[in-house]
Amino acid sequence: MTTIATKRNLESRWQRVLRSLLYGHDVDRNIKAKARLGLAIVAFAGIFFAIALRLVMFAAVGEGHGGRRSITQDAVATARPDILDRGGEILATDIKTPSLFAEPRKIIDVDEAVELLTAVLPDLDANEVRERLSSKRGFVWLKREITPDQQQQIHRLGIPGVGFLTENKRIYPNGAVVSHEIGHVNIDNQGIAGIEKWLDGQGLAALHMAGLATDQLQRPVNLAVDLRVQYALREELIAAREKYKAKASAGVIADVNTGEIVAMVSEPDFDPNNPREANDPNRLNRLTTGVYEMGSTFKALTLAMALDSGRISLSSSFDARLPLRYGKFEIHDFHAQKRVLSVPEIFTYSSNIGTARMALALGVEYHKAFLKKLGQLDRLRTELPESAEPLVPRHWAELNTVTIAFGHGLSVAPLQAVMGISALVNGGKMIPPTFLKRDQAEADRLAVRVIRPETAEKMRYLMRLNVEKGTATRANVPGYYVGGKTGTSEKVVGGRYSKTKVLTSFTAILPADKPRYLLLIMLDEPQGLPETNGFTTSGWNAVPVGAQVIERVAPLLDIPPRFDLPKADQMLLVSAKDTR
Amino acid sequence: MRLLNILVIGALILAASFVYKIKFDSTLQAERVAKLRSELRRERNAIAVLRAEWAKLDTPGRIQGLADRHLALQPIKSNQFDNLEQLPERPPAVVPSAGNDPIGAMLAPTPDTTGSVPSVAPR
Repeated sequence: MTTIATKRNLESRWQRVLRSLLYGHDVDRNIKAKARLGLAIVAFAGIFFAIALRLVMFAAVGEGHGGRRSITQDAVATARPDILDRGGEILATDIKTPSLFAEPRKIIDVDEAVELLTAVLPDLDANEVRERLSSKRGFVWLKREITPDQQQQIHRLGIPGVGFLTENKRIYPNGAVVSHEIGHVNIDNQGIAGIEKWLDGQGLAALHMAGLATDQLQRPVNLAVDLRVQYALREELIAAREKYKAKASAGVIADVNTGEIVAMVSEPDFDPNNPREANDPNRLNRLTTGVYEMGSTFKALTLAMALDSGRISLSSSFDARLPLRYGKFEIHDFHAQKRVLSVPEIFTYSSNIGTARMALALGVEYHKAFLKKLGQLDRLRTELPESAEPLVPRHWAELNTVTIAFGHGLSVAPLQAVMGISALVNGGKMIPPTFLKRDQAEADRLAVRVIRPETAEKMRYLMRLNVEKGTATRANVPGYYVGGKTGTSEKVVGGRYSKTKVLTSFTAILPADKPRYLLLIMLDEPQGLPETNGFTTSGWNAVPVGAQVIERVAPLLDIPPRFDLPKADQMLLVSAKDTR
Repeated sequence: MRLLNILVIGALILAASFVYKIKFDSTLQAERVAKLRSELRRERNAIAVLRAEWAKLDTPGRIQGLADRHLALQPIKSNQFDNLEQLPERPPAVVPSAGNDPIGAMLAPTPDTTGSVPSVAPR
């Protein structure tokens, strides 16, 4: 203490003033220095700790940083999941292609760049490229989807401000075969039709927006379609369209127990690799986006309604001696028998009079309610975004019931009719059709009972009977026990039903004793041929086509041919015994 | 005291060189990871291309064309199928087979009798 005191005395006056300004008058300098030292140590320790922490963070995050960059590179054009058929065959997949872009601000000599680029890419429009390169924007596409060769050549040119980005390009290896189901995408890989559009609706679009749609995240989508069956059906339909000189042909094969669409073809179709074709209205999907008067095919629905009501049985009979007169209209039969017909005869002779009387006996409201129950009066929604609203008469009078009973006056999408008739034969459960793979348990959960199982049994019998001795005898492929109903409807031309322009259809169930598949064949305006004796009704064109399809497709669908099957008449007896 | 300082300095140099080595190694590893990752991406893209190509070669239309050109096979008819139950029983051997079969030994080696692949192509 004394030394300090003496030191203090030794200090000059102005030194003392300075000290008092800096430290205050009466503080012990020693203690203060210690405190300061401590403070400095704490501060420096804090700084170094922060630096160390930051270093650790860099070390830990640095790797992820590189990964993030590669993801943004991948996501430039959005990746899409593969679309597979039910057997795992690829229907649509992505491949990576380079695309050429430019950053106009970085380009030094626009003219030289244009000259060099058009030399490598001759299909590039020089004026347009010059315009794009002269703009003040930061980024312009020059050409999407170039070949690796072209990329290599442009890279060698060494033009500053020009670069490549890897994009996903959608490839459809099967071309037009499954076009209407999968639809197609635009240049930015966004779905604009079919299942591709549906995929975007399932959250893929949101993923794309967030830039997170990379290949690793995507699960392939399994469709219900079987590529082999689809191809066979399409080939037969193309041949049929040429043979009968029809405007269009279409066909569906549906699993009646699960509602899966195993094949769906609407000719003419388009190649999804060339989406421009898809805009042609002639190439639209007639099965979901078109509505048609299904003709006699609808008689199956009327008969099912009659049999299910309990008021009409298979042994009932109806008077078909004279044309049915209703107001100023007269309903004739095409295969007129001019006698009293039993219910099975009405079906096999496809009697308009008989079915009309049947529907009248049950009344308008009953008819309407039944068709509503079978989903024929509402728009059918599937995974495909394209769908058409059925044309239902606004005022449903008795005359409408008369005509709708035999399939005129109500236009539905053919896929809708497929759903309705499947319900009539599969035991009475209506299952909404799907284009995605579905198992039996899920189908049972979605199923709604619409008719009694006994009625379904009778419908199968009638369908089989119709092939054995009705209008569809040409579909009797030996061994497959086919059942079916024909339909010929006259098309409306200028407000009148045309006698020459018809729409023929054939609905077949396979096999008829325990249906697994339903086949619908549709021909738009088939022409008479010498071998069909000039006839244009369904039995002469749609039915033979159906037979060919069945013979070709049944082995693919794993349906074994059986030759020990009873005639239709015995079939009902056998099943009646079983249920007892 | 001085000894301690020297020791500490030595330890510091050791630690620094060790850290440097780790850092150097990790950089190498990171480069390797990046390289492998880009290689993976390239391979994956190549697989995608090959898959697309395979699917294209595998389309029913192409197979049908090839079959029409190179095979004399017909579509199968429904009466060409049969059940396993309909297969007749194997007839009992007429001669009880002895352990040594002189004729069988003469026939060996047996030629390929599967018959599925013709030895000479039709065209």
